[in-house]
Amino acid sequence: MGLRWYHFAMWAGFIALMYAMPELVSKGTLRTFIFANFLAVFAISWDVLSGRTGYISFGHPFLIGIGAYTTAILTKRFDVAIEISIPIAVVVTMIASTLFILPALRIRGSYFALVTLAFMELIYQLVQVIRPDLTGGTRGMSGIQTLTRGAVNGYYMSLSLMLAVAISMWLLMRTRVGTALSAIGMSEDSVLGSGLSTTRLKLFAFLTGAFVAGLGGAFYVHYLGSIAPRALFDINFVFTIIVAALIGGSSTIIGPMVGAFFLTYLLEYLRPYLPGAERYFIYGGIALLLYMYQPKGIYHIVMQAWERFKPGKSA
Amino acid sequence: MTILRNSAALLGAMALMATAASAEIKVGFIGSLSSDTGLSTLRGAEMAIDELNAKGGVLGQQIVLVKADTGEDVTEGVKAYEFLAETEEVDFIISGSIDDVSLGWLPRMQEFQIPTLDTWTSYVGIIDMIVDDYDSMRPYFMNIASDEALATLYIDFGKDVLKEKMGWDSVVILAEDTAFGGAITGLVTEALAPNAGIDVTEIISFDITTNDFAPIFAKAEASGADFIYLVSSVNSQVVSSQYVKLQVPMGMTGVNVAALGHEFWEDTGGAGGGISTLSPVPSLGFALDPVNAEFLAQYQARYDTRPSIPHFNGYNAYHGLKQAMAAAEEAGGFELDAWVPAMEKQDDIFKKDGEMWLRWGWWGNDEIEPRTGRAYPHNIRFDITEPYDEGAPSMVVIQWYEDGTNAVVYPDKFKTGEFVLPSWVKK
Amino acid sequence: MTQIIIQGLLLSGLYALIAMGFTLIFSIGRVLNLAYGAYLLIGGYVYFYFAQMMGMPKLVGVLLAVIVGAAMGLAKYRMIVKPLKGDHVAIEISTLILAIVLQSGVILAFGDSSKILLPIIPGVERLAGATIPYSNLLAAIVSWAILISLYFFVNKTHTGRAMQAVSMDAKGAAISGIDSDRINMITWGISGALGALAGVFFASYTQLTPSMWVAPLIISVAIVIVGGIGSIIGTLIVAHIIGFMEIIVTAMIAPELRGVFTMVLIIGVLVIRPQGLFGREEL
Repeated sequence: MGLRWYHFAMWAGFIALMYAMPELVSKGTLRTFIFANFLAVFAISWDVLSGRTGYISFGHPFLIGIGAYTTAILTKRFDVAIEISIPIAVVVTMIASTLFILPALRIRGSYFALVTLAFMELIYQLVQVIRPDLTGGTRGMSGIQTLTRGAVNGYYMSLSLMLAVAISMWLLMRTRVGTALSAIGMSEDSVLGSGLSTTRLKLFAFLTGAFVAGLGGAFYVHYLGSIAPRALFDINFVFTIIVAALIGGSSTIIGPMVGAFFLTYLLEYLRPYLPGAERYFIYGGIALLLYMYQPKGIYHIVMQAWERFKPGKSA
Repeated sequence: MTILRNSAALLGAMALMATAASAEIKVGFIGSLSSDTGLSTLRGAEMAIDELNAKGGVLGQQIVLVKADTGEDVTEGVKAYEFLAETEEVDFIISGSIDDVSLGWLPRMQEFQIPTLDTWTSYVGIIDMIVDDYDSMRPYFMNIASDEALATLYIDFGKDVLKEKMGWDSVVILAEDTAFGGAITGLVTEALAPNAGIDVTEIISFDITTNDFAPIFAKAEASGADFIYLVSSVNSQVVSSQYVKLQVPMGMTGVNVAALGHEFWEDTGGAGGGISTLSPVPSLGFALDPVNAEFLAQYQARYDTRPSIPHFNGYNAYHGLKQAMAAAEEAGGFELDAWVPAMEKQDDIFKKDGEMWLRWGWWGNDEIEPRTGRAYPHNIRFDITEPYDEGAPSMVVIQWYEDGTNAVVYPDKFKTGEFVLPSWVKK
Repeated sequence: MTQIIIQGLLLSGLYALIAMGFTLIFSIGRVLNLAYGAYLLIGGYVYFYFAQMMGMPKLVGVLLAVIVGAAMGLAKYRMIVKPLKGDHVAIEISTLILAIVLQSGVILAFGDSSKILLPIIPGVERLAGATIPYSNLLAAIVSWAILISLYFFVNKTHTGRAMQAVSMDAKGAAISGIDSDRINMITWGISGALGALAGVFFASYTQLTPSMWVAPLIISVAIVIVGGIGSIIGTLIVAHIIGFMEIIVTAMIAPELRGVFTMVLIIGVLVIRPQGLFGREEL
């Protein structure tokens, strides 16, 4: 798997820094970090499904929403314990993700992006229309059981989730399966040529992505304590997830994490100075410029700079 | 490396944000900074704060206002509440949030236990939460009549005006497919027939993203009912302007949130004549008592952008904020054990020509409202029975005329105009 | 029945106009312009600003909207699409970001609350129980006129045929001496102008809101997917299928299920016949 000692050293340093954060920063900032952690989970999940394979999903909230709604409905309406409802939610999300498979076997590129967008619109409308007594209809649900109380606990919960996801995905992507997935993104035909089943690989990528999305969605709703279709199945949410993954650096694990922290922090940092709509204007503008400047993301920009300064020093 | 650099930047930035000054009373505003709804609450609060500060502030300290924008988005609302609670550590929160957004941050309110006043959200489900779980909900107050009270008084309008004056016997209900639409529709269908003698011929529910109402109005016409009862809180400009543009040949009244604002006429380019809606008080066209008339005059002198007349929640914010501060003065701060009882006792009555006109007070925690037979703890004290001498009515009915003016048409005590049919509807 | 036919025709005409600009770009550049809805947004607000707020003649308002739309199309091509050199994912993402930026720009300038446009021609006609507002009739007529002239433009003129050539095979077109950059500019300009015009009609049919770009984008996507790329006739037919389907669902089944059937249709067609009902046999 090509693991080196410095990989572990870097992860350990990173984990130590992140766990020490509550000692270093204010509670308000921790709340920002919590959203960044969740966004990182969603971005990693998107990256596994889309960033690697090249099957761009515009309907990621479809998966996140199924996870979130499943556990919200189970706990709120049927009094199921959280420990049971979250695994069920993850399984349901994985089953739902197989709906993506059918079109993915036949279509690629922009068409796939469109069909996922259609899935998101479909569930958005269905959630409001079908059984509003369960889903809460347009208003959604409030008063859903939360896992933690307080900024520090919420931070540790979200951080642990994010790190668990990041490290397991990082390890997974270093296996042969991970390499093969990235290969699909580059050239599906050559993967076929080398005798691997692209269908099985795609199924694997979608299930893995859905696993993470469902898990993230379920924890997210038990952190927020409320859920509303308009905020969840929203094109702005799609935008934030995809941009986080891409602006950080697609096909890496650190990239989506960096992107998530960058975007969340940018948005929250602007809040005291520009409380209104100006904030989104500036935020979107910066994202657009950065993305146009380097579509491969911040990770790539840093790596290029690193390469330039490397002679003379060594890692 | 990226992480290190990022963290260094973050830490630097945090130092900037950590402004921990507590020699003042901090009030947080949560709501949309770009909607008429949000701005009404914000400005009502600003005016109350300036007035109090000019008189020396509260508890000897000046009041400062911190704003957090929700953009009418639920998740942004949660973040905004956390920002006010944890970064700014405010003492009191005043909200101009819409229902969904309030429901989103409500679990945070229960967690942080910060005194919070909602001025727009009217969802009776929140009052139910106070009934069920007073301990965790006690910092929450809602000084608009909850939607159940709105609907109940509306039934009287059906009986007194629609049935008796207009002679209408049957109604087709057009309701948006939301929890709000469902709740109001349920109340109206159950109560309209037995209490007002109006039969419901059909209920048509529509999706809130509906662009084209032509087939829906055609269906309503085909039902053979005498008039349309509309329930629309989201995007109601669309349905009302299409009613006017399509010149639907039957009367329409109901709940139409867009028509509550003075800019409705401008926004619809005049395609709003004939539209009537229930409105919480003080509504457009509402005759004001001297104190509230003075508030409106000062508001208009101070703000020259829309909304040029504050919505009802602007008045709610103005009076509610002053009451919250008066309660803090009495209780010696915002400690809940002292502040909540002090807030519960606040009661401001405004009379016009010696009559009860407007009132910002609260229902007793266990007091039962006689008509609906239930308790409304921490909800504004409304009155839904003539002669409205216990409080302000939960709502009035207002109508826009085809010349762009508007008036209150019901109840009679508050009437400034008559309920009429649009000119294209033949009797 | 007559009602359904009349309402269906009116709505479908509008949908065809909305989808046309999107189809053009998708056919020629194979690019998903997710900021397409923003032309409608900007077109609607430009018209609102000049015709309703400034009180200029309505025709001037429409013209200004179309000009701004075309300029936006050109700017988008020059500043986003061309520098990204056919990287589809990058174009899709950056146009999506652009749409969000424009949406917040509109909120900044005009606020969050929705606005209703005055009918371009006030008044209605009643026919067999159906109500026909003159404005909607005009929208349908304009839409048909534009679609027909576009059809002739693409099939009969030199530039139009060059557009077709670029759409089928960009490299081949370049070899045969077609300046594909110029063709692209023309296409993006036309697409922007059509989008802005559709925005004026769409907004006068419904309302102006900062988030009004999403619904037309979804409609366009549906029409293009079901119709298949590169087919003006296909777009027209499918606009009618979807328009009529919405009217029939609303009138006969349940109004709140209106959008659900459209989404099911998209997903179904993509799975069963990915090239669309009228598209070319290639992907």
